[in-house]
Amino acid sequence: MWQWFHRWGSPKWFYDLSGRWLPWLTGALILFLVVGVVWALLFVPQDYQQSYTTRILVVHVAVASTSLAFFPIMAVAGTITLVWKMKMADMVAKTVAPLGAWFSALTLASGSIWGSVMWGTWWEWSDSRLTSMLFQFFLLISVISLRSALNDSETAAKACAVLSIVGCVNVVIIKYSVEWWNTLHQPASALSMNSGSANGPAFWVPTLVMVIAMYLLMAVHVMMATRNEILRRESRSQWVQDLVLAAK
Amino acid sequence: MFERIPFSSFGEFLNMGGYAFNVWTVYLLFVIFLLVNLLGPRRRRKQLMKELERRAVLAERQQPDSSD
Repeated sequence: MWQWFHRWGSPKWFYDLSGRWLPWLTGALILFLVVGVVWALLFVPQDYQQSYTTRILVVHVAVASTSLAFFPIMAVAGTITLVWKMKMADMVAKTVAPLGAWFSALTLASGSIWGSVMWGTWWEWSDSRLTSMLFQFFLLISVISLRSALNDSETAAKACAVLSIVGCVNVVIIKYSVEWWNTLHQPASALSMNSGSANGPAFWVPTLVMVIAMYLLMAVHVMMATRNEILRRESRSQWVQDLVLAAK
Repeated sequence: MFERIPFSSFGEFLNMGGYAFNVWTVYLLFVIFLLVNLLGPRRRRKQLMKELERRAVLAERQQPDSSD
């Protein structure tokens, strides 16, 4: 266990391993994306109330549910940074935050575009789900700007770690907001195995395919961005210099 | 689960039951989101490698005897 933990702490080990995994993960990502998008756009049936706007929800639900994973990931990485001062954990935390902001922004935009026709409004300040998701977006922007504002990278790592752990409270609020307060946003649909149902597999199977695609996107993006961060931070080490000379 | 395609023509597909603007805007934003987050790190890597190569060349010139 400890040996495994130490290996993950080595930037070179992460760099080599992610280099081998990336082609496979990228291939899987493209496969799931193509299947998900084609299925969503062509085959999802028309809902008797929502017509074809359910095609928006396949993207919205997948992106939104994945967006909730960012603060927990940053909190775990932050805890490892605070307790064991592992450099790798902080590099991952740094690369995850901007992607989380993109996920949150797309969640808000796609939800708003769907709501504009189905709810008759683009935005509702009194809705707890909408406002807590907007708050998550602002929290992620705060984490990113906090890091760039602090010059000392060790102080920045610690401050971001603390903010990420605190930010997890908001994830719980987003998750249960639709049950605790009943305003505009509907609760998660109960999945049904019955293909005649409005919540049947014709809707949730393509959504599940898209959720898997979004987690693959996260893995691919974080690996690529973390590799860049490793090259930048370890640029003086011998193995990076050898790598650069070999690539020349 | 495997439904038939509910559209009878390509025009109907584009029209999305009258919600063309909303459906296609979301998918356009989704494509932009994918491109930015997949091609962004790739471009950054190319810039970084160029910068590191440049620095390696400079270092070699400064210490010619330690280059091998």
